[in-house]
Amino acid sequence: MKKTFLRKIGMIGIGVTFFTFSCTNLDEELFNEVTADNFFLTEQELIAGLGAAYSSFGGLGNHSNLWSTNELVSDELIITTKGGDWFDGGVLQQLHLHTFTPDNGFFNNTWGMLYGGVNTTNRLIFQFEQLKAQGNTSADAFIAELRGIRALWYYWIMDGFGRGPLVTDFTDTEAKGASTRQQLYDFIESELNAVIPILPTAKDASTYGRMTRWVALTIRAKLYLNAQIYTGTQQWQKAADDANTIISAGVFNLSPSYRENFVINNGGSTETIFAYPYDKVFNQGFNWPMMTLHYASQTVFNFTEQPWNGYSVVEEFYNSYSNPATNPGPQGPVWLGLAVDANDDGVPDTQGTIDDRLSNFLVGPQYKPDGTKAIDPAFEGETTAQPDPDGTNLNFTPRINEIGPNAWRQGGARIGKYQYEVGGTGNMSNDFIVFRYADVLLIRAEALWRLNAGSVEALTLVNQIRTRAKVDAFASLTADNLLAERGREMFAEMTRRQDLIRFGKFAEAWGFKPAKAASATTYSVFPIPKAQLDANSLLTQNPGY
Amino acid sequence: MTKLYLLIRRCLTVVLIFGALTSFAQQTVTGKVTAADDGSGIPGVNVLEKGTSNGTVSDADGNYTINVGANATLVFSFVGYVTQEVAAGSQSTVNVSMQSDVTSLSEVVVVGYGTQDKKELTSSVTSIKPEDFNKGTVNDPVQLLQGKVAGLNITRAGGDPNGGFNIRLRGISTFGANAEPLIVIDGIIGGSLSTVDPNDIASIDVLKDGSAAAIYGSRGGSGVILVTTKSGKSGKVQVDYNGSFALENVARSIDVMTAEEYREVPGHIDLGSSTDWLDIITRQGNAMVHNLSLSGGNQSTTYRGSINVRNTQGVGLKSGFRQLNGRLALTQKALKDRATFTINLSSTTKDAQLGNAAAFNYGILANPTMPIYDNTTTSPTAGGRFGGYAERDIFDFFNPLSIIEQNERDKMETRQMASIRGEYDFSDIVEGLRFALFYSAQRETDFYGSYAKKTAKFGGRNGLGFASRSTDVRLNELFEATVNYDKSLGDANLELLGGYSFQDFFNEGFGLAGGNFVTDAFTYNNMDAALDFDDGLGNVYSYANSNRLVAFFGRANLNFNGNYFLSASLRYEGSSRFGDNNEWGAFPAVSAGVTLSNLIDIPSVNSLKLRASYGVTGNQPGESYLSLQRFRRTGSFFFNGRFGPSYGPFSNPNPDLKWETKAEIDFGMDFSMLNNKLSGTFDYYSRTTTDLIFPVTVPQPPNLVGTTLVNIGELKNSGFELALNYTAISKPDFTWTVGGNIGTYKTEIVSLQNEQFNVAETGVLYRASMGSPGQSAVQLVRVKEGDPLGQLWGAQYDGVNPDGTYKFVDINGDGTIDPTSDNDRTVIGNGMPAATFGFNNNFTFKNFDLGIFFNGAIGHELLNSYRAFYENNETTTINNWNIVNTKYYDPSVTKANVNSIHVEKADFIRLNNMSFGYNFPIKSGAAIRNFRLFVTGQNLFTITGYTGVDPEVRYADTDPDPDDALAPGIERRSTYFTTRTFTIGLNLGF
Repeated sequence: MKKTFLRKIGMIGIGVTFFTFSCTNLDEELFNEVTADNFFLTEQELIAGLGAAYSSFGGLGNHSNLWSTNELVSDELIITTKGGDWFDGGVLQQLHLHTFTPDNGFFNNTWGMLYGGVNTTNRLIFQFEQLKAQGNTSADAFIAELRGIRALWYYWIMDGFGRGPLVTDFTDTEAKGASTRQQLYDFIESELNAVIPILPTAKDASTYGRMTRWVALTIRAKLYLNAQIYTGTQQWQKAADDANTIISAGVFNLSPSYRENFVINNGGSTETIFAYPYDKVFNQGFNWPMMTLHYASQTVFNFTEQPWNGYSVVEEFYNSYSNPATNPGPQGPVWLGLAVDANDDGVPDTQGTIDDRLSNFLVGPQYKPDGTKAIDPAFEGETTAQPDPDGTNLNFTPRINEIGPNAWRQGGARIGKYQYEVGGTGNMSNDFIVFRYADVLLIRAEALWRLNAGSVEALTLVNQIRTRAKVDAFASLTADNLLAERGREMFAEMTRRQDLIRFGKFAEAWGFKPAKAASATTYSVFPIPKAQLDANSLLTQNPGY
Repeated sequence: MTKLYLLIRRCLTVVLIFGALTSFAQQTVTGKVTAADDGSGIPGVNVLEKGTSNGTVSDADGNYTINVGANATLVFSFVGYVTQEVAAGSQSTVNVSMQSDVTSLSEVVVVGYGTQDKKELTSSVTSIKPEDFNKGTVNDPVQLLQGKVAGLNITRAGGDPNGGFNIRLRGISTFGANAEPLIVIDGIIGGSLSTVDPNDIASIDVLKDGSAAAIYGSRGGSGVILVTTKSGKSGKVQVDYNGSFALENVARSIDVMTAEEYREVPGHIDLGSSTDWLDIITRQGNAMVHNLSLSGGNQSTTYRGSINVRNTQGVGLKSGFRQLNGRLALTQKALKDRATFTINLSSTTKDAQLGNAAAFNYGILANPTMPIYDNTTTSPTAGGRFGGYAERDIFDFFNPLSIIEQNERDKMETRQMASIRGEYDFSDIVEGLRFALFYSAQRETDFYGSYAKKTAKFGGRNGLGFASRSTDVRLNELFEATVNYDKSLGDANLELLGGYSFQDFFNEGFGLAGGNFVTDAFTYNNMDAALDFDDGLGNVYSYANSNRLVAFFGRANLNFNGNYFLSASLRYEGSSRFGDNNEWGAFPAVSAGVTLSNLIDIPSVNSLKLRASYGVTGNQPGESYLSLQRFRRTGSFFFNGRFGPSYGPFSNPNPDLKWETKAEIDFGMDFSMLNNKLSGTFDYYSRTTTDLIFPVTVPQPPNLVGTTLVNIGELKNSGFELALNYTAISKPDFTWTVGGNIGTYKTEIVSLQNEQFNVAETGVLYRASMGSPGQSAVQLVRVKEGDPLGQLWGAQYDGVNPDGTYKFVDINGDGTIDPTSDNDRTVIGNGMPAATFGFNNNFTFKNFDLGIFFNGAIGHELLNSYRAFYENNETTTINNWNIVNTKYYDPSVTKANVNSIHVEKADFIRLNNMSFGYNFPIKSGAAIRNFRLFVTGQNLFTITGYTGVDPEVRYADTDPDPDDALAPGIERRSTYFTTRTFTIGLNLGF
């Protein structure tokens, strides 16, 4: 009797247990995603985890991100409003005219990419430190690599936004206010100082696309080159020294031709210090042909997608290549102004300097693979407010008639820097060059020239670049010809905004932007994005916005 | 799967042990039910043992037999007669004479987990029966209800035969987690309406207020719609056939310039032809429907089986479907009629051609002087870059006919549903105690295929061709156990319900897409022929996810004297989708009613009931796993000379995530007066939703990514609802009834923040990008704390400048006009209606009947995107496209720029449905039971000032995916044209 009773109690107990643990079980089961519980366990998984630190660079080749923002506020590139296309509430014109505001989405995209990168490196550093504590011997190398990458993110944050939260501890769950530019500068410098001695030095497949000592040195050289802007204190000698460390190591050489750096398979260039490898199959997102080329360029390159006709080159900047006064060199036919070809022989009617680096542009009449002219049926006709001067043929004229609303659809030279693949998709396979040896030569040249305007080594270095571009050597260096040379060499490589600011030219007029004093102050740093101010009450806006 | 099966088996075992103690004491009662006025036997009368679900139905002559417990009371009920209760005592024969009932308030409505006499209802529930359903060609069950229920809006802009309906009950009370009411079909929570053919529906009941919906807990927040399918009746075998054929034509599109008009525009591009593109891409549609049902049974078994065939071709070329649906309902009594088993099975297959919405967009855009084909032929000549179709090599333009003819978009749907319910009556042990188990499984499979020919400019990848195949499978398994206990306590009747619910959802699918074909011959049927896969450019994916709900629920209904009613319920529910810190929630409700007319005498009022209710319901997050820290592939990176995958986090986990909470009060009144000629229902509701699920921007770091889904904010809705029915004439040969309903809406965003987060520092949020070309950064909708939901936001039109740009009002009066900033932007409209209504007239004359039904909405505006982009003389518009040419067209405008001139009042009234029928007189004893012919017109005309395609309310913006419930009021550019349908049909019964 008692036994039965006990058994009954037991049964009820079991019943309750079932009810509690099975019939009310709300645990979630994952099928196509992983959690930290079942990932980061094998070496292969750890490497895949490390890869996230590099995936953050994926925004480089997209529209309206870090690269676009830096280029469009400089004198290199412009997006004009072409009738109904590319107005977008004025945000594009504002970048060119230096009237941009904190709610412009370009800034929030940029911020998101940079702080996404910071966050990922913080997380991975934390993870690898735990592995290190467990005795993993390869963790140190990974941690150094990650600190180097993080320093690069902070370098871009400090350069672009001026201020920003300095977060280095993944376990810190509190939002932070902005650190000053000086604080960010100090952090970047000390991090680079710490990792440069331990980062790898090889230039081979094992380090391609990865953080090496040379990448870190290049960042530090650029940090010092602009130190006066960032902190008020010049660091020319340090910049020259870091550049020299790279040069004297003999690891890098100028490619025989400028173009080699930007061909479809540019992975083998001797000049590349840091590239983000894109691929139309394995790593998509390098969208320049879509961003810059005309709709009808689809027939020129047989692209599977139709381009968007956005980015053009500011005319004065394009002209800086062909102007014999400022860029002496061999003279020959070059497309200028309206790209006139009166006898229709495909040869420009205008003359100018033939600079090898004109390969940076796509300009003049465009031909299909079969040799016939590409046609734009939607060209601006006779009755329109701004008729297209050369009619229906697709012809990229260096001339841009206006910033909007009726900019010519074919106005402006286009970015031709990276070789476009005939039959390609919207995604290029060329690797995105982040840092290049030619830049390092020019950094040393400029730093030496700043220290001593008569520096022979500085002149030699600059002329090394000019000789490679098949133009005449300079007899001497001036602020103007140095800045212009940097412009020609580094077009669309995200240095121009920095250069204009450093040379004190950011407030000057170019394109459709009038001279504007505030460009040198307020607009020399980006506004803190409105969405970030909304999200983090500790953040404050940069002055003037 | 196996796991779930085991789990259910365990749960079942527990519950079965709980209910396995039984013994029997029975007696048999027989009798005849007759009509009091003529003494004839009434077939089909429900005979129920009171306090149980034990019951039977009288046969063709009115005779019945029932096994009941000792001292049972029998309840006899039949539509149109006064329900009677007779104590059987120890009698073996009980004959009953039924009085016909003139009051319309005696009606059984379906409520959550049961039914209730309408007279006893204390919450707001509307029941719609087949005689009130919309007539004609109705392919979607919810369309049966369109305009019929005050406060329930069922909308579909345009007449896409494959388009779904938006359903909104009492406006919107969520930020988008799930704005549509929960659908429950024969007890299957979250049942798919595509498992049900409209012909098989016996009733649709709408649980409108919080107290009625609270029994569905965390999913009742947007209201609940209960669909009950027809079941078999004992007695004679019945065979019914319903068939109809319909023709469909375009009713409304939008005015664009004809070729002649366009040629008058300076700068036009004359391509040498005259083409009416809107005509080219449409046709006369048609629809055929066959429904055959067989039903019958005896005292212990009833059945109903039906087959439904639908074949529809929409007005848009290549849009339509063929559908076959079969349904079987079987009820069997066992164990001396104490046990009742019900099986429902349904299977649907549907082969759809989806057409192409882009064709409607580019049909409006296309230059009217462009020929259809190259070389001005009348059919495409094969070859050429675009397959013989005329194309213009410009951005954002495609030959609309080529879009349709050179693209395939097909979908195959399969729906399978099976449910079994077993109920056991314990009245012999405990009077009024019943116990039931229910299990259902529903599997929905969508299988897609698409192909764009090599020569298709639209989607054809510049000569390569592109194909995709994908499939999505959704499984919904439900297990429930319920206990009912009915007790009579002298003057009071008490009904208790308790239950347990366990529901598992599993979604999975995969797909592949790739292009570069050598030939068009395969379309999407030979994916490995796509060279993209050889080149690594093909795209392949698969996924799976699950979620689970567990709930305990209970309800008590008290009926005191038939005068006072009280109801209280609670659902305690947990969901795997909620965060660890908030896994379980309680959803209580309480309501009360008093039949005032029984207590005091009010002149000319026949009945009057007042009721008040309060209920709390929830809304689930739209995705699983939101509380977990998850990682997935985030891209590739270059490692040791080759690309490898990189893995990283992609969302911020929120372990605090919970349901949206909606608390609602409802005051209502049901009445009939003037000798029951006028009856109606009035409700006032006020609902407050808190903890709305919404993504907020968060600082990163410390957060992993820049947005987190959190519970935030407060939304408040209120409104009145009135439904009236008036019998104007009631003569033997002629009747005329008038009915109408109206619902009003007021939705206010009270707050966009909580203690921790802010949707936006300024309390303002902008939604709905205008789009490309050129207006992507323009946001059309403002969501602002303290303001109504649905504000259209933009610059205020003030004429046209000499340069052809719009002139705007300097709203802040600072002397400069800046329409791109909030300084000079203002509220330019509201997308939500102030009220929606339906109005019907029904006439019968001898055997003829006529129904006329109007519905409409007032107080809402629509932003006409067609006009905002294309109603101007901008160079791009003239060069690339055609010009929209409504009464607002102003040729001096040369710059497209959306503003208040493009926002139009969209009040409308629509002759939704007009049906005329004739019932042939059937001689008694004839083989045929009934024979009816009818003709129905749907959407016959619309009165509105709106110039776009469809003035129907847009409750959500369809441009983003998923739809944005916070951005109502925008007519986007690819709206399927509205259609007008004429149906002839017959109903035949044997």
